[in-house]
Amino acid sequence: MTVAKLIDTSLCIGCKACEVACQEWNDQEFTLGVFNNTYQTQPDLTSNFWNLIKFNEHVDDGVNSWLMAKYQCMHCADAGCLKACPAPGAIVQLPNGIVDFNQDNCIGCGYCITGCPFDVPRLSSVTKKVYKCSLCSDRVAAGMTPACIRTCPTNCLTFGSRTDMVQLATARTAELKEDGFKDAGIYDGPGVGGTNVLYVLKHASEPEKYGLPKDPRIPWAVSLWKGPLKWVANAAFLGTAVGAMLHYLKFGPKETHDDEIH
Amino acid sequence: MTTKSIERFSFAERASHWTSALCFLYAAFTGLALWSPRLFWLSGVFGGGETVRAWHPWGGLFFFLALGVMFRRWARQMQLDEDDQVWLAKSHLYAQHIEAGIPESGRFNAGQKMMFWLQSASAFFLLLSGVVIWFPEFAPRPLRLGAILLHPVCAAVSMGGIMVHFYMSTMAVPGSMGAMVRGTVSAGWARSHHGKWFREMGGR
Ligand code: HEM
Ligand code: SF4
Ligand code: SF4
Repeated sequence: MTVAKLIDTSLCIGCKACEVACQEWNDQEFTLGVFNNTYQTQPDLTSNFWNLIKFNEHVDDGVNSWLMAKYQCMHCADAGCLKACPAPGAIVQLPNGIVDFNQDNCIGCGYCITGCPFDVPRLSSVTKKVYKCSLCSDRVAAGMTPACIRTCPTNCLTFGSRTDMVQLATARTAELKEDGFKDAGIYDGPGVGGTNVLYVLKHASEPEKYGLPKDPRIPWAVSLWKGPLKWVANAAFLGTAVGAMLHYLKFGPKETHDDEIH
Repeated sequence: MTTKSIERFSFAERASHWTSALCFLYAAFTGLALWSPRLFWLSGVFGGGETVRAWHPWGGLFFFLALGVMFRRWARQMQLDEDDQVWLAKSHLYAQHIEAGIPESGRFNAGQKMMFWLQSASAFFLLLSGVVIWFPEFAPRPLRLGAILLHPVCAAVSMGGIMVHFYMSTMAVPGSMGAMVRGTVSAGWARSHHGKWFREMGGR
């Protein structure tokens, strides 16, 4: 069964309880964040801060509001991080759809950072390994819900089978539309085969307003690098080796004419 | 027959050549360990994935520096002249050991000159792209995307070139290994493969 997390951004009040729960459960040391004149805990994700509530400022008809967006790994079906990673076992995709990093196998090359369309993995300068949200794979394996879900006071976050979450998201979208949010919709990254973190957005046609990429896809450069480029190069290596062998068999070595020298 | 031998490569030339060759092989094989998850076992040969990740860039950097020494010494001698243009146009004959119509070469033939420029250019771009991949946390995304394409492309081009270079020096042209190891060649070798250079060195 594929699991999913649903984030109904219209219900987020920015209390950051999920940030605290995430830090607690994953046993992160406390580091002083950077204050940049917003209500956000810090400007961006870091290697020991995997879940950030973004307070996106929004003005509609002269009325200020925040478009809250919980920012973390999206657990993509077609995961760019996994595609880019050279170390077997450093990134694993579990049968339930969770994309998990295993730091024991990570070599710290940072390829996954370049492969991820959502710019999620973060390299620790201390351990030289990469970290991100695990969707609490350990809790889920034990039949519990992720820590952030457990703590959310507003039902903004729900967790369950992906089918159920899509149903719930569809129902919520319909409600929002009834309430006058004509542009309400689901954000689930079809370009990466679907994400296992789903959003309900009031402004679904403009996900940039939430700090989400408009049409997330594995960068074409990464697909080219990990696909055709390697095939062409491998074929060229093979061709060179076979060519050299055939050349030797047909023409042999280049002769040295020693005889006429006196 | 003659036993007379001519000095072809000085100690400094040989030392820089083999330093760069060793660093190149180290960089190439540690790089190949990351080429594909199927080749990751290679990292075990070089001390494990973390070691490879940490040391490959240094191997590459030392390769670049050793090549830089060769570059300073040889860049002028590697300029292509008119005879070299003719040589290149007839290189398919050279490959078949047909000598008629192919101009005699100087100290380096046009093929070797092309190899020199190919390796120099790819080393330069390997360094540029390599530094970007070295510090992913400081490089902006578009730069990283360019670098992860450029680095393996240049690596493949230079490794392919080195395969040809290796074949030529170990099998296709007997005597050339001695030139780079002991530094000397026979007079007959010099005359056969680098006629112009042979006469410059006072041979007839
Ligand atoms: C000139 C200086 C060089 C620097 C700074 C450099 C740096 C890097 C870095 C940082 C990586 C990523 C993983 C790692 O750290 O091991 C890498 C990958 C790689 N390097 Fe280099 N490198 C250099 C030269 C070379 C050379 C001479 C070769 C061999 C021809 C080479 C072949 C490769 C290959 C094949 C990869 C894997 C590419 C891939 O994943 O597709 N590099 N290099
Ligand atoms: S969001 Fe990024 S890190 Fe998470 S699964 Fe997708 S590609 Fe990997
Ligand atoms: S940093 Fe670690 S997880 Fe990321 S691509 Fe490299 S080995 Fe894989």
